[in-house]
Amino acid sequence: MIYDEDITQQIRMCAACPKMCRHVCPTFLAWRSESPTPHGRALLLHQEITGTRPLDDRAIEVLYQCLECSHCLTWCLPEIDVADIVETRRRQLVEEGRFPSGLNPMVDSIRTHHNPYKEPHEKRTSWLKTPKNDGRSLVYFTGCTAAYRENGIAEDAVSVLSSLGYQVDIPKDEWCCGSPLLRTGFVEDALGQARHNVEILNGMDAEEIVVTCPGCYRVLTQDYPKHGLEINKPVRHIAELLQSHLKSLPEFEIEGPLTFHDGCHLGRHSGVYEQPREVIERVSKGALVEMERNRDNAMCCGNGAGLRTLFPEHAKKIGAERVRQAERTGAKYLVTSCPFCKNMLESQAKDRLIVLDLPELVEMAKKRSHVKTD
Amino acid sequence: MNERLLDSKTKTKIAKQLKGIVGVEHITTQETDIVLNAHDAWPLSEAKIRAGEMLPLADIVVFPGSTEEVSEVLKVANKNKVPVTPVGGGAGTCGGTLPIYGGIQLDLKRMDKVINIDHKSMLVSVEAGMVGIDLEEEVNRHGYTLGHTPTSMRASNVGGFLATRSGGSMSSLYGKIEDLTLGLEVVLADGSIVRTKAVPRHSVGPDLRELFIGSEGTLGVITEATLRLFPIPEERRFRSMAFADVHSGLEAIRLIFRAGITPSVVRFYDPEDTAMSMSQHFDVEEGDSMLLLAFDGAPEKVDHEERVSVEICKENGGKDFGDGPSKRWWEHRYDMYYPTKFTTAGFSIGDTIDIVATYDKLENVYHAMKTAMEAHEAFVMSHFSHMYQNGGSIYMIFFTSQPDAETAWATYKKIWDDGVAACLREGGTMSHQHGVGLSRSTYTEDELGSSFQVLKKIKDVLDPNEIMNPGKLGLGVQE
Ligand SMILES: Cc1cc2nc3c(=O)[nH]c(=O)nc-3n(C[C@H](O)[C@H](O)[C@H](O)COP(=O)(O)OP(=O)(O)OC[C@H]3O[C@@H](n4cnc5c(N)ncnc54)[C@H](O)[C@@H]3O)c2cc1C
Ligand code: SF4
Ligand code: SF4
Repeated sequence: MIYDEDITQQIRMCAACPKMCRHVCPTFLAWRSESPTPHGRALLLHQEITGTRPLDDRAIEVLYQCLECSHCLTWCLPEIDVADIVETRRRQLVEEGRFPSGLNPMVDSIRTHHNPYKEPHEKRTSWLKTPKNDGRSLVYFTGCTAAYRENGIAEDAVSVLSSLGYQVDIPKDEWCCGSPLLRTGFVEDALGQARHNVEILNGMDAEEIVVTCPGCYRVLTQDYPKHGLEINKPVRHIAELLQSHLKSLPEFEIEGPLTFHDGCHLGRHSGVYEQPREVIERVSKGALVEMERNRDNAMCCGNGAGLRTLFPEHAKKIGAERVRQAERTGAKYLVTSCPFCKNMLESQAKDRLIVLDLPELVEMAKKRSHVKTD
Repeated sequence: MNERLLDSKTKTKIAKQLKGIVGVEHITTQETDIVLNAHDAWPLSEAKIRAGEMLPLADIVVFPGSTEEVSEVLKVANKNKVPVTPVGGGAGTCGGTLPIYGGIQLDLKRMDKVINIDHKSMLVSVEAGMVGIDLEEEVNRHGYTLGHTPTSMRASNVGGFLATRSGGSMSSLYGKIEDLTLGLEVVLADGSIVRTKAVPRHSVGPDLRELFIGSEGTLGVITEATLRLFPIPEERRFRSMAFADVHSGLEAIRLIFRAGITPSVVRFYDPEDTAMSMSQHFDVEEGDSMLLLAFDGAPEKVDHEERVSVEICKENGGKDFGDGPSKRWWEHRYDMYYPTKFTTAGFSIGDTIDIVATYDKLENVYHAMKTAMEAHEAFVMSHFSHMYQNGGSIYMIFFTSQPDAETAWATYKKIWDDGVAACLREGGTMSHQHGVGLSRSTYTEDELGSSFQVLKKIKDVLDPNEIMNPGKLGLGVQE
């Protein structure tokens, strides 16, 4: 039995819940069926536990349709974390060799190239230039998306951090943090990546590590320690770091309001809600407008936990809905603090909204402000 | 009940035809999908799920995206005489969506769009599959409310609201769904599409719209509705009063309505329900019953309504609890529906018999039902809610915990049988808003008396092949 008594009871409760949180589940929105729902997933597991019905291939697929966004948890009075329950079963499914074959390319790519995008490892950060600076030393762990898909974020992060006086170092041989593997159940593979990262990070001479990707942030600060892997320096998300330098951040007149999308890994999974908002409010001189669904009630962008790999069209449907929610605020800019979210939201916003990641916004402010940063 | 009816050849043939109608991605014959789509929120189904039992399954679940697709699906079903169970939000409490004779479950969740908001007439036209909360939030953005606030708002959809004649907690002021609906579009069993015009009142024969409201999928599939809108009230004010007994509280409610006051919320908790729902948070005397009131509207109107209501309550022995209990209930109104360790332990099962009666009978119905239900070792607690000028509803809530499944399900049935019998004997009606579905199907004939034959004849004409949700509402029951 992979679940303890307490979780087994939670699954039993959730299996027959009168669908109290279904209305916020993004995969219910994407499929409009009772199957990819929180209670649906719990019912499949409950039936498996009670011996009523084993998981068939379709049931496994339903478990892999979960974004692990934990939005359901926000609405669950008995605090049942379907995301965690699903991830536990995914781990077992991987051990049993019963995971969807659509994950193979992603897993193989990380095994071979240390990134999920099948990109050559040697090109990971070789292009990223860091200026010399005599300030406090800091390691920037770029993560795969900023390294291969959202280069602007990485460049702007380096630029903003340098302006704040940091000596930014990029690890020479950074590997995927393991987040895509962990979230889809490939723990052993993930730990292979993790051990390597811990070794190189611990060998670097710096005061702290900063990340721009909340997926990396969660894995480095929560999953690595859970698996006994300790990083010997503090790890901060760039939103936290920038917030600690609030007064030194540039300000500028932005044309039109901006709204903020909370990425699940940063918000619900790490509790970082206010820091990015304070940064946005500072640099935009108070131009932030909230979406109806914000903070722990924010909707996922649709990219999480393998959904985009396995069901790209449905993932995009979720992203498009999140963009609609942003448009409803009347904002001109949609700011997020996650390269992965940015990538999805930008693809769905087309030219209706300008989508920026937090370092990009701050860099924009820097370029357009006359205030000097120290 | 678990026998699915279609042989594999017929099933394959029908599935192929349905695929042609809705597209391959909007139909499923996968057992996992069928299991997950089978049940609504009937407490007996929920208890059976927890106990590891399988529920009756459909052969095919289909998700049409338009009225035309619904029509084509029904034509195929009718031609092949295959049962069709419409599914709304799947949060009904009576087993209405259980496909007890197999066949097709026709799920409307993809039909989830607002068609039009008519600001001048204050109306919204909407597809039947739109979830209640999504619609409410959308009209809120335009400054309106539906005035329909059932606690299933997050899960149920417009079609389900209509099909079960549902009622929100503010039905005293805004009305139930039948009062809130002006026009309907319905697809009949033979696939024909009928529309009733959206007008405030008319004098062109019987109101055919009413025929389908509450028909629970037995007469056709509701695909679209035109609903009323209200400006969001300027103010909602709460007030609470405790009474030493049920009688004096009920008198106060009756007199408030008689004085021409229509609060939006009127909920009156008997001593057991007060102890359960209020005593943890407020200092209520043991044995007291709590009345929760709310008033909606412009401040002057609310001032007047509150003042008169408070006077009447005090004249009838009411002890003022301010806005606390009432406001707290409003803010936590969804909480009691979540599963808890206690309510889901072992073979526990509870349910609500939501009866309705006129004031002259209401108290008798309450006492008679309570006695009948408690005779089966059930814990019974009740609140009077959805009150009107001439009477109102009682939520007779019961809970029982038994050592094994067989005893639990049998006890559950006895409580229902005797509770409903007591209600009917004392002149009450067995449901105010939850509907009949499967849980009350066998009582329908007793409830409706001579008028049941009219319902049956209508059914015979509109659905001669008895394909529409057979076994529900006392109709189309197969021996
Ligand atoms: C937590 C909770 C709280 C509730 N609170 C309330 C409340 O405050 N007030 C209240 O009135 N009820 C309440 N209910 C009961 C129930 O949710 C409502 O009666 C609701 O109207 C059912 O809608 P649904 O969309 O969930 O319907 P479903 O369960 O999907 O269906 C109900 C019945 O209607 C039929 N049907 C559904 N859609 C259509 C359609 N388009 N055309 C034809 N037939 C159709 C089905 O076949 C079935 O027989 C509550 C239920 C729950 C679980
Ligand atoms: S997660 Fe909580 S609220 Fe959601 S279905 Fe499960 S028990 Fe109900
Ligand atoms: S974690 Fe997200 S996708 Fe998964 S069941 Fe909960 S709300 Fe749905």
